[in-house]
Amino acid sequence: MCITNPACCTVFGTITDRTMRVSYTNIWYYCLWLKDFRLHFPRATSFAAHAYKRLTGHLVTTLISRNRGDLLLLEQWEDSPSYHTKMSAEPVRVLVTGAAGQIAYSLLFGIAKGDVFGKDQPITLILLDITPMLPVLDGVVMELQDCALPLLREVIPTDKEEVAFKDLDAAILVGSMPRREGMERKDLLKANVAIFKSQGAALEKYAKKTVKVLVVGNPANTNCLIAAKSAPSIPKENFSCLTRLDHNRARSQVAMRCGVPATQVKNVIIWGNHSSTQYPDVHHCKVNMAGSDLACFDAVKDDDWLKGAFISTVQQRGAAVIAARKLSSAMSAAKAICDHMRDIWSGTPQGEFVSMGVYSSSNSYGVAEDLIYSFPVHIKDKQWKIVDGLAINDFSRGKMDATAAELVEERDTAVTFLSA
Amino acid sequence: LINIAADPIRVLVTGAAGQIAYSLLYSIAKGDVFGKDQPIILVLLDIPPMLPVLDGVVMELQDCALPLLREVIPTDKVELGFKDLDAAILVGSMPRKEGMERKDLLKANVAIFKTQGAALEKYAKKSVRVLVVGNPANTNCLIASKSAPSIPKENFSCLTRLDHNRARSQVAMRCGVPADAVKNVIIWGNHSSTQYPDVHHAMVNVHGKEVEAYSAVKDDSWLKGDFISTVQLRGAAVIKARKLSSAMSAAKAICDHMRDWWFGTLDGEFMSMGVYAGGNSYGIPEDLIYSFPVHIKNKSWNIHDGLPINDFSRAKMDATAAELVEERDTALSFLSQ
Repeated sequence: MCITNPACCTVFGTITDRTMRVSYTNIWYYCLWLKDFRLHFPRATSFAAHAYKRLTGHLVTTLISRNRGDLLLLEQWEDSPSYHTKMSAEPVRVLVTGAAGQIAYSLLFGIAKGDVFGKDQPITLILLDITPMLPVLDGVVMELQDCALPLLREVIPTDKEEVAFKDLDAAILVGSMPRREGMERKDLLKANVAIFKSQGAALEKYAKKTVKVLVVGNPANTNCLIAAKSAPSIPKENFSCLTRLDHNRARSQVAMRCGVPATQVKNVIIWGNHSSTQYPDVHHCKVNMAGSDLACFDAVKDDDWLKGAFISTVQQRGAAVIAARKLSSAMSAAKAICDHMRDIWSGTPQGEFVSMGVYSSSNSYGVAEDLIYSFPVHIKDKQWKIVDGLAINDFSRGKMDATAAELVEERDTAVTFLSA
Repeated sequence: LINIAADPIRVLVTGAAGQIAYSLLYSIAKGDVFGKDQPIILVLLDIPPMLPVLDGVVMELQDCALPLLREVIPTDKVELGFKDLDAAILVGSMPRKEGMERKDLLKANVAIFKTQGAALEKYAKKSVRVLVVGNPANTNCLIASKSAPSIPKENFSCLTRLDHNRARSQVAMRCGVPADAVKNVIIWGNHSSTQYPDVHHAMVNVHGKEVEAYSAVKDDSWLKGDFISTVQLRGAAVIKARKLSSAMSAAKAICDHMRDWWFGTLDGEFMSMGVYAGGNSYGIPEDLIYSFPVHIKNKSWNIHDGLPINDFSRAKMDATAAELVEERDTALSFLSQ
């Protein structure tokens, strides 16, 4: 395409993904975007502003280069058709509990920025915490406003379940009862059963039936199961718990060992409970080194490490961060939450699977039913599917069973409190 | 596809074990500031007692599994911290303690920023871009710049983008539009309670039309009264509510400032930055770091000239300049000791 005199020509067109169909003097041309315009004009949400003449229902732009395929800058006006489908999209209603706390503080910005639900998806953010934390929550709301984020339509701070859980599309349940000095495991479980029974019932009563629920607050797997059981008319598949942090930690340990970026390590698996019995399994993991995919055991060349210190490092990483920071891992937890939720929303790439704590019934790995257990999953159209058919050797079998046994015990204790 | 052959840039964050850095580092490492194809070597500087905490931060950055993060270097040594830098974000400063006079605070910070300016002079690239966040930001920035004489004064700036974003957001909420529909607010002067948030030249996009802020808001007394004090005192309001200062929104403003410096501002838009006032056309005393409206292109800023300044604005611009002159003179007396 060749357009002479770029300084004074105006073109009309509509964007379809990465090609742009433009009309110049009534002749239609196709131009390919060679570069990501957002890299050069990062403050634009969907479209960069370089327009000079407004015409109803059309995109207007000034061509900045006469060469075919070069960057075109566009401004889309509010009443043009594409604008309406994108920027006037219904906001999703997203709840974060424990919203005045440390993990939420690292998380909310990523959500409000568009990193989770998409850069064109407006959001209504609902923040739930206990009554004494409401003043702190007000401070968080002020800061979110001060971030000047275009996708954040509304922020609703509250301590009331009937407000928090209303019409939700997504719920991230970060808040839970923390372990206190002298608290027995049984007491911790009892306190959390009460919380997640109530929140499950609130989901049942107020949220959309399509709501996707991610439980983070520990003990995450059992809290998730209790919530699911307390929301019987919401499909159990809509509930999951976070093991993505362990998954990311496992990737990163292998990556550092191999001297590659963490994104070149794929298909690690976290089996079981988000606790010290979790099993980080790299038997099916691939490491991309020097252009080719190697099996992890071949890339690392240290079976002892992979079956020993690697596993304990990942299992105990949380404690290591607390020992160093004197606070638990908020930054990396928030990143893992964003990864987990974003993959639910937009799916996993071909050939890659991720780890999620999901409902274990009808699984093909011989794991006990009626648990929330972390499996390798693919995700498409907001539905997850366990990756079946992976070979399980005796070493893995032993570890998968051990973590299942812990979950069965936790569940049975929790369920006694549920019926109490 | 990431261009893995691209040379990484070296970025320093001081006060790296602290609250603001904790909200900031992830965005830098993710590519939100320097571009999603730009690998980064992140250098984290803090004082020796904070090194264990810094180790925890390094662990977390590793656990985030971010492809652009080539290397993370935690240190308490300036010769390592400032080596070959492309960008430096100086967040760390001496905080005000109970019973501390303003003079004491200034004296302590002059010592820090004199050392860091000298380290930039000695170890960093001459092309380094320096953003000073630690308060008193404007004066700390001036001291650093004076201590690095062979680095152009234009390479130093201080953060007033947080106040700028707060001003945008207040106007946006008043008009019922998203914050990015408000353009060309200005923060003049000192990042302190004498700052002047000025919307005489701001535009609000209402239903696709660009409207002057005063016409869009239709409440002159708010714009000349409560709006200004709300923005000036917002920091204190957040501290009062959270019991901690504003890390999330400060980190966002730092990312905005640095990213605009790296990639430029859009035509017709300007942003607020604390920059060297030498040669300015607004009658502000020279030899200050003063917040002005700027355009940025090719990593260089230019003050947006020619804006008409009415008496109301003039008085406020002069008041904040006077405070900066006083801060500077006190600081310089410590510098020469």
